Amino acid sequence: MAAEGLAGPADLGDDEQEAVELLLHRLADDEFVLAERYTEWQVRSPTLESDLAVANVAQDELGHARLWFDLLEDFGYEEQDLIWERPPEQWRHSTLAELPWPDGGWADAVVRGYLYDVAEDLRLGALEDSSYGRIRDRVGKVQGEEDYHLEHAQNWLERLTEDEDGRGCVQDAVDRQFAHALTLFEPGDPDLEERIDDLGLRTTPLSEMGEEWLRRVVPFFESLDVDTPMSGREDVTADQLPAVVGRDGDHTDDWFDLYEEFTHTYDQVDVGDPVRIMEDPDDE
Amino acid sequence: MDVEEVKERAGPREFSPADDMPEEYRKAATRMIQFHANSEIMGAYLERPFVRQSPSLERKLAFSAKVQDEIGHGQLLYRAAESLGVKTRDEMLEELANGEGKFLNCFHYPMDSWHETPMIAFFVDGAAMRRQATLKKTSWEPYAHAMDKVCFEEGFHVKHGEHILAELAQGSKKDQEKLQEAFDEWWPRILQFFGPTDDKSTHHDFAADVGLKQMSNDELRNAFLNAYVPKARKYGLEIPEYPRIEENDDGTWKVREDDLDWDEFFTVAKNDYEGSHEQIGKRHDTQEAVEWVRDVLDDHEQRPMGGAGPAAAD
Repeated sequence: MAAEGLAGPADLGDDEQEAVELLLHRLADDEFVLAERYTEWQVRSPTLESDLAVANVAQDELGHARLWFDLLEDFGYEEQDLIWERPPEQWRHSTLAELPWPDGGWADAVVRGYLYDVAEDLRLGALEDSSYGRIRDRVGKVQGEEDYHLEHAQNWLERLTEDEDGRGCVQDAVDRQFAHALTLFEPGDPDLEERIDDLGLRTTPLSEMGEEWLRRVVPFFESLDVDTPMSGREDVTADQLPAVVGRDGDHTDDWFDLYEEFTHTYDQVDVGDPVRIMEDPDDE
Repeated sequence: MDVEEVKERAGPREFSPADDMPEEYRKAATRMIQFHANSEIMGAYLERPFVRQSPSLERKLAFSAKVQDEIGHGQLLYRAAESLGVKTRDEMLEELANGEGKFLNCFHYPMDSWHETPMIAFFVDGAAMRRQATLKKTSWEPYAHAMDKVCFEEGFHVKHGEHILAELAQGSKKDQEKLQEAFDEWWPRILQFFGPTDDKSTHHDFAADVGLKQMSNDELRNAFLNAYVPKARKYGLEIPEYPRIEENDDGTWKVREDDLDWDEFFTVAKNDYEGSHEQIGKRHDTQEAVEWVRDVLDDHEQRPMGGAGPAAAD
């Protein structure tokens, strides 16, 4: 693909900037919201080792969200516009990221991790040759950390499903979450998504990524003797999607509760702009 | 080795698992290190909700990293405690979940608002750092070794706490008032962090004689007050009138013991305070909810091909 295609942030046309913004929000919002959910497992997972591992994953995802939000700041937005004061119905993450965990739902955590990490692997692959240099330059750093996440989730699934009760818990977790995982590949705005592809911002369209994702996750679960709603099927139809898909700003009630919680302190304290304590990502 | 020989030889990092230590030493060291490990875990419990409450993305990252560090300290300390051969880690974690395990007084109190976070992250951690720095010279080598890493990381934590404190101290009048309210509430607990004065402390003599403990409660509290009273004032906090603390001419402090609520302290120490039940109950319930996973892991270990896997992330 023509990797030199697009100009830097200051020189993009309005149509181009609009497409870049949606793409970045798909990335940043997913990572931020999923990390919020992962942090609930810190000190509450099955072992001290899994506490540490899940804390690592959460921090990686937050770190990735920071990299993508930072690219949105190129367009003049500030952290409060992007996170703390952005209305919840403008967030573009997949509903998979926002679902709460059932009590003791460690299987849900590893199933979600696996479903998400395979999608993330495909999505980042489609950005390696993005026509937008600012994105292209950051993909490698994110990929380096995601490999470990996928391996971690796969190992856990293999181990949990060796046990009959464990496999039952994994099956329930798949049943609860699979439809929401399909929303990872849903368009936010169909016209804009097409523009993202036409501009070469992303080198594989969502529909193709979705198909590839199914070719990976369905056989993997089958090999563990776990069924998915897509076993033996190839096309995702509307009736397989959840009532809300997240990408277009429609979310489950749980998202609005989560949003209330994580903006609570920001709304309560009056200490100026969100504090920066790290180096600028461009200088790291 | 008998106890007399232990007392004679007691010095920094003097004893290790290669030594044949008497039961009295092993039990005293286990009690002390287990308490320390439990405190790391229960501290992480108290602070975890504030990862979500953090009002900036980078603050959130720092808070999450801090909680993660504390879990790591717990892991390291349980290992140091296990090396005494008295209890396994599983036993100690079970004791923590069922209310037998003891931990620091400050972690028995609920923490509800962001304005309270520096009370733990700056003052309690600052107090802990004082104590931990002296434990680099404890006589049980695995404990001292753990302290090297713990102290290194605690330095960052205290800076993180001080940064939040500074931010709130420069906030609106309402933020400053809330900060002072939090300080008024936490200050007596922080003074009690060091335990009762030396003449009332039950475990000190033996622990000091065998080199496990390097400084007395009073000495540590003095050192803390010397450093932290000026810091509190620097951020505009007023030291509450009660409990009375008075600076002596020689730079030491006299704390009026009678102004502190020792009934509450000893109730806390027995895990019998209202907050103890709440904090321990949470730990108990969340651990019970994932008991099924540990059962699966145990079964896996017993399989011929079992062994290394996702649990071995360290």
